[in-house]
Amino acid sequence: MKYSDKFRQANKEAKATVIATAAVIIFWCLAGFGLADSKTTIFSTPIWVIGGCIGTWLFAIAVSIYLAKFVFKDMSLDEEDDSNV
Amino acid sequence: MFNANIMNLMPVLGFLVFMLFISYMVKRAATADRAQNFAKDYFIGGRTLGGFVLAMTTVATYSSVSTFVGGPGMAWLIGYGWLYMAIVQVVVVFLVLGVFGKKIALIARKIDAVTVIDIIRKRYQSDILANLSAIFIVAFFCATMVAQFVGAAKLFEAVTGFSYITGLSLFGLIVVFYTTIGGFRGVAITDAICAFAMIIGMSILFYSMMETAGGYDAIMTHISTTNPAMLEPFSAGKMPMSLYISQWLLVGICTLALPQSIVRSISYKDTKALHNAMIVGTVVIGAMTIIATWVGVLSKGILTDPSLAAYGGSVDNITPLTIVKSMDPFWAGITIIGPIAATISTVSSLLLSSSSSIIKDVYMRQIEKNGRTVDNNNVKMFSMITTIILGFGIYFIAIAPPSVIWQINMFAFGGLQTAFFWVMILGLFWSNANSTGAVWAMFGGVLAYCSTMALKIKIFDLHQIVIGISVSFILFMIGNKIGKRNDDETLKIFFPEEYDK
Repeated sequence: MKYSDKFRQANKEAKATVIATAAVIIFWCLAGFGLADSKTTIFSTPIWVIGGCIGTWLFAIAVSIYLAKFVFKDMSLDEEDDSNV
Repeated sequence: MFNANIMNLMPVLGFLVFMLFISYMVKRAATADRAQNFAKDYFIGGRTLGGFVLAMTTVATYSSVSTFVGGPGMAWLIGYGWLYMAIVQVVVVFLVLGVFGKKIALIARKIDAVTVIDIIRKRYQSDILANLSAIFIVAFFCATMVAQFVGAAKLFEAVTGFSYITGLSLFGLIVVFYTTIGGFRGVAITDAICAFAMIIGMSILFYSMMETAGGYDAIMTHISTTNPAMLEPFSAGKMPMSLYISQWLLVGICTLALPQSIVRSISYKDTKALHNAMIVGTVVIGAMTIIATWVGVLSKGILTDPSLAAYGGSVDNITPLTIVKSMDPFWAGITIIGPIAATISTVSSLLLSSSSSIIKDVYMRQIEKNGRTVDNNNVKMFSMITTIILGFGIYFIAIAPPSVIWQINMFAFGGLQTAFFWVMILGLFWSNANSTGAVWAMFGGVLAYCSTMALKIKIFDLHQIVIGISVSFILFMIGNKIGKRNDDETLKIFFPEEYDK
């Protein structure tokens, strides 16, 4: 990968990270505030607590796995192999 | 408070000695690298961090004593709303590593940067901006370190029965010492161990609380009958929407710009490490936030008096009292390793970053500017001396902190974010950003933030960070119109994709 291509990829990754963060915020709203009126409880805990806190945590983990495995690409950080391309 | 019994100090003492031992081993292992290029090894560990350690050190630096004291205390008062608000921190690790991680790593290798300021100086070609950055970093970091020491020493006193000064001297002097000898590698590895200690400490507390209060269901029944508002996200008006939005900015999105987080992007080994750290870091910071804050909510079942006045009128007393009431002195002695680990892992990173600003960004820069070569042995001597003097200084200030420290500390977290948010984002993602815009944004933003904080001026009831980053952005745009674009030679390093179509 050329130095400039690495930056193109890094720009893509940064954009995806911002979108992922927005997705977490939306999930957090829906699973927390969105469920706040429900009287359902799980283990005597209101469902919005489970959704908004545990749920958001699990969703953020899923998002970070998606980013790391599918969006982010491995590349050499050193310069040496620039010339090979 | 328990009676001061030296036996109960043994776990903490053992833990601290272990930290010292680790740092000593790291120092021995790094001797050869340090003989070659001391600054590079001492301040960023020679760019060798693996994914796991990168994740843990990022999380440990971020989680401070307030994660274990102030936060749970507020959760006792507010209820689950506070947990719902605290959980916004799950984004901070993947956000900073995902947005800046790779670009910073690539650029740092290209220009041989050791500090975040090296990168800022190169990007904007401005010594004024670099010096301004160094001043903000050192001032805000020092105030934060003092506040960390004070918080942990108070907790130590309240739980163990030993005096404030005993606690402060015990962990304060040891952390200064091990940071000085271990450098960045030592800090990173001890941070990783600290992160474990935090989780273990809080898990023990969680379990003991359950035992004491008669189980989770019993606590929840108690809360729903005596204080049902604790089960609502807005907590009967105590958690307004504006607070949620403020927190998303202050402890979520804007943490992107904290220099102590960004510097970790210079230090890792390869992209695999970065990718793993994003996942591991998100798992760990979420677990830590949930356990620590949940403990606070559930301590309602231990500290059942509805009035905070019954507990000394401060939420900071909630965690120590919960520890004392739900376990015996021996286990309490193990549990407080958690908050102490949170404190020393934050202090070690900030201390090293502060001394890197003084040595690399001011001292070495001055020598290079005068056209002289920097002697590796001098760098070694001055770096270690600076770290230890700075550390002792902070220790002495923490013995009896003047009130100005509290004010600076109150400004520190948001102030650093305001200072670096646009300078870093626009600097790395917008090639037109120039030094005039950056200087105005940094100086004007911090000024606007601190003055509105001091005068308690708010817009739409939102935290002043909103004013800080808004003013900073506007000033950046105005200043940018006046200043000139950087030369192509520099911009080719930062935006090669724009020069190679």
